[in-house]
Amino acid sequence: MLSLSADLTETKIDLRIINDGGSETSPEGVLHARELVEFAEAVVSRDETDLRRAENELLKVAGQEALVDTACVAGNFQRMVRIADATGIPIDAVRLPLMMKAVDELGLKRFESAKNTPSMGWLNRLTAPLRRKLALSMMKRMDRKANGR
Amino acid sequence: MTAFSFQNSPYKIRTDISSAYREYWHCLAQAGSWWSGAERVAIAREVRNATQCDYCSERKKALSPYQFPGTHQESGTLPSAAVDAVHRVITDQNRITQTYVENCELSEEQYVELVGVAVTVFSIDESMRALGVALEPLPEPVEGEPDHYRPIKAKRDVGFVAMIPVDGAVGVEKDLWKAGQTAHVLRALSLVPNAVREWYRVGDAQYLSVSQMKNLSGPTGRALDRRQIELVAGRISACSECFY
Repeated sequence: MLSLSADLTETKIDLRIINDGGSETSPEGVLHARELVEFAEAVVSRDETDLRRAENELLKVAGQEALVDTACVAGNFQRMVRIADATGIPIDAVRLPLMMKAVDELGLKRFESAKNTPSMGWLNRLTAPLRRKLALSMMKRMDRKANGR
Repeated sequence: MTAFSFQNSPYKIRTDISSAYREYWHCLAQAGSWWSGAERVAIAREVRNATQCDYCSERKKALSPYQFPGTHQESGTLPSAAVDAVHRVITDQNRITQTYVENCELSEEQYVELVGVAVTVFSIDESMRALGVALEPLPEPVEGEPDHYRPIKAKRDVGFVAMIPVDGAVGVEKDLWKAGQTAHVLRALSLVPNAVREWYRVGDAQYLSVSQMKNLSGPTGRALDRRQIELVAGRISACSECFY
């Protein structure tokens, strides 16, 4: 979704930040990226010292409302990842061509739950760029409609 | 005192968040479709036990979760199969397999409702822990019997459990999604439709509503823009090793 949102707003984002947490990549393209990423990491790690440090850093740069929203988004995704993994759902067929670039770039197949999504066959791989374009154009239409344009 | 009043919170919490959490606490205490109110609250208690469970943290390091004997830190009110399922969903979710779900000694419907309760409670607890706010005391269970409702259209297609098919949200389930337009994650728990309805309301406040999700570039109505929201989502998913 980050890659999609970046494509629609014509913003260049180095997706490696998702994997590396901003330690090795420039967090350009997203405001307060480093602080947001560190806060998310600290929530998952359950290290209270790191979490309080990340809370203070995010509060300093983004303010109280953004901190509350970030905590809620983090809570939300602590739920969503567990729904997906506890029920073994694969990535939706329509999303798969959109995700292949990120899957390959970030090496996401290393995750245990990747086995819940069957690999794309050669024909699907071959047509993935075209289907990605079609899916992107569908997303753009949906986005324009949502924004009343 | 009213639940989720956030009186001791150092931060101002949006009213839609506190009311969504309060509404969920009310649902949590009632009988569901396959568990009583007391059992649902006991599942919530196990969510909190799981985060402190030494056995879970040792088991997570083991090569296989199936060859690591031990006992969970638990409250002793749920069957051991349910305790293990809650602890796995909270602490070792990406090693859950079809075989585990089929052999966990819970019915498919019980498992799905248990997952729904566990993950929704956990999401609320996690947002509060992230803000350094004390966790809300669990609600008092309300008397009542589960209704044993199973949607007639539910069937196996993807994943480990039966779900309502993409075009199956009709009749009493028509509120779940617009017929034909949904994602696997939105229907993953639809074998117990109320489990979906309950987490949707919490998700609307924590993240975005389904209609807001379609807006990928415009204002979010939050203090974060869409890219910031998705960056947090992406990093949480990567740290949790979630492929989906």
